[in-house]
Amino acid sequence: MPIEQAVQTLNLNDPAVFKEWQEFLESLGISNFQANELQQIDTTLGIYNERGSLIATGSVAGNVLKYVGVCNKFSTQGSHFNSIVSALMNLLAQRGIFHLFVFTKVKYATSFQHVGFHELARTDLGVILETGDTGVDDYVRRVAQAAADRHLTPASKVGAIVMNANPFTLGHRYLVEQAARENDLVYVFVVNDDVSLFTTAERLALVKAGTADLTNVVVVSGDQYMVSYVTFPAYFLPTQDDAIRYQTTLDARLFRDQIASALHIATRYLGSEPFSRTTGIYNQVLQTELPPAVAVKVIDRQTSGDNVITATQVRRALAADELATVRDWVPATTYQFMQENLTQLQARIQEGMNINGN
Amino acid sequence: MEIKKTAIAGTLESSDIQLMISQADSGIAIDLQSDVKKVFGDQIEAVITTTLNDMGVTAAKVKAVDKGALDCVIKARTIAAVQRAAETTDKPAWEVL
Amino acid sequence: MAENEERLRRTMMFVPGNNPAMVKDAGIYGADSIMFDLEDSVSLPEKDAARLLVYEALQTQDYGDAEMVVRVNGQDTPFYDNDVKAMVKAGIDVIRLPKAESAEMVQKLDADIAAAEKEFGREAGSTHLMAAIESARGVLQAANIAAASDRMIGIALSAEDYTTDMKTHRYPDGRELEFARNMVLHAARAAGVAAFDTVFTNMDDTEGFYRETEYIHQLGFDGKSLVNPRQIPMVNKIYEPTEAEIKNARNVINAIQEAKLKGSGVISMNGQMVDRPVVLRAQRVMKLAKASNLVDEEGNYLEK
Repeated sequence: MPIEQAVQTLNLNDPAVFKEWQEFLESLGISNFQANELQQIDTTLGIYNERGSLIATGSVAGNVLKYVGVCNKFSTQGSHFNSIVSALMNLLAQRGIFHLFVFTKVKYATSFQHVGFHELARTDLGVILETGDTGVDDYVRRVAQAAADRHLTPASKVGAIVMNANPFTLGHRYLVEQAARENDLVYVFVVNDDVSLFTTAERLALVKAGTADLTNVVVVSGDQYMVSYVTFPAYFLPTQDDAIRYQTTLDARLFRDQIASALHIATRYLGSEPFSRTTGIYNQVLQTELPPAVAVKVIDRQTSGDNVITATQVRRALAADELATVRDWVPATTYQFMQENLTQLQARIQEGMNINGN
Repeated sequence: MEIKKTAIAGTLESSDIQLMISQADSGIAIDLQSDVKKVFGDQIEAVITTTLNDMGVTAAKVKAVDKGALDCVIKARTIAAVQRAAETTDKPAWEVL
Repeated sequence: MAENEERLRRTMMFVPGNNPAMVKDAGIYGADSIMFDLEDSVSLPEKDAARLLVYEALQTQDYGDAEMVVRVNGQDTPFYDNDVKAMVKAGIDVIRLPKAESAEMVQKLDADIAAAEKEFGREAGSTHLMAAIESARGVLQAANIAAASDRMIGIALSAEDYTTDMKTHRYPDGRELEFARNMVLHAARAAGVAAFDTVFTNMDDTEGFYRETEYIHQLGFDGKSLVNPRQIPMVNKIYEPTEAEIKNARNVINAIQEAKLKGSGVISMNGQMVDRPVVLRAQRVMKLAKASNLVDEEGNYLEK
């Protein structure tokens, strides 16, 4: 019967609305409502039935759809699912966002594929899909073009490094040099997350500047496909251990299946990770997931005297206003940038930017 | 008509079609998803292409997710998407309707 | 008053203008009038899309004998001008003006329609209009509104906005609407146009719907606005004439034919002169009887 059930905006700041929303999602098996998942949400939509009960919902966080849940008891052929996804897409379109991602349970993957989403990678715990006016194919085409522009393709041996470089140090440089020596072409993907002390644009520029002399190295933004895996929504996973396993595995498979295969990357280089437990887990997962399609080479960290060079140390020196102590740890280009932007960088630290992460 | 930005029109609801139109260097490329693609895919693409031609769009990328839309719906959604993408929504192309 | 032979307008079904499934199926329920809505049921970012959808549907879909109506956006919105133009170009039967509060508003619509008819080569005067009364001001101006244009086919009470304006809300017994209903009805009758009652939104209250429809039928409304096609047969049922009414109407019709055959200008029945209102009512009853499938083509009563 054609009675229109309008999609409404849910105000999750209202405790009563939040409670109903949470209970509804819990009834569908979504149980993770931790702050790190919730605070990313920009807008939540819902559909109520004639009796005023919530029967479908979905949220957007930037260009990511999450907390999509539909009770199919009252709907035919996923019609409420389609209504919610389509309303979320129209909402994002008004914000000028047309390229979007969804992270969801495996069992919902086909529903999203049915409305035009394209699967990028999956683990037994979850799936990442994308849709929109551009996609991973356009991305790898742009990356390959960057190499072609420098006459580096076709290349018989292609290596890759993914780094945050916050900021680019001689430790990073050492890793790049090793890879450059062993390959015809090395792609350096700079992680695209503006949650670091150095912005994405700054980090990308410093990596480019610090490797400009290496003629077979192509530095590109990781764009939407190489982000910090911890930003992968894991709201549908109950435990933190599940979340880490899923996030790292998904990241590895996304690289293997969408990036490495299209760009003929044979080897991925990693720096050894003596300090960070999560990065250690990540490296282990890469070594499990990437071969045999992509070989993994772990390069020992470069030391300066007795110290292992890390970007964390550099940031701490910035915070302590002892920049000169790390002069020998970074390329001249990075050092010069820090000197010239010292006030601004220190101001960001003062404003609460965490310097102890990645 | 020139595609100035990406735009979307229509929904994923039954009997509708969701059309996303974006810039392209040349030609019209349609990526169509439909449950009835085998039987009606060519016809759906023909309606989109004809409407784009009528509106003077020569270069565009179109992503279409069809949920069983009639031709008149496909045409209406295509016009809406193009006018949004060309930023001419306030000045409808009466001659194309 | 628009040139319209007494047409049945028992049911005017509201159809959200941006919903292809509903726009597509609007013709299958047997509503006397179908009203595609570009106003309240369409969100602001979708106004352009709804206008185009309704336009294209009107070009290609078969809605049978239903009178096709479009509710355009109000004159205080940026969508009004293009709505009116597009719908005139589409060849719509009737444009419905929301929130009518004065004869001037109707006259503006009349002029805008006339300009659009000229621009798009439609026959002058072929597009009709109607007005929705949705406020206290509108109710008090109802008589002027109903008589404001030769294109006018009817006025409708729209109770949701009206009750809000009156600082009340809708009650099951409808007493809050008494004055407005009577004003709208009288204004319509005085101007010789149709009167449409408001929608009844509580789908679960079938009894209440019948009660309200019987009431407005008794008052003399031509029909009711609907949001749910399930209500169409319910309204039609109430508007069905009784067997006695049909018999009486047949006698009147027969008397007219007899008079015609005799070449007499005076219609008489049982030795009494039949005057015009009686003839009109008989014609209306027969029309209702036919629409309700109570008589055959010749007007013979069909036993149930």
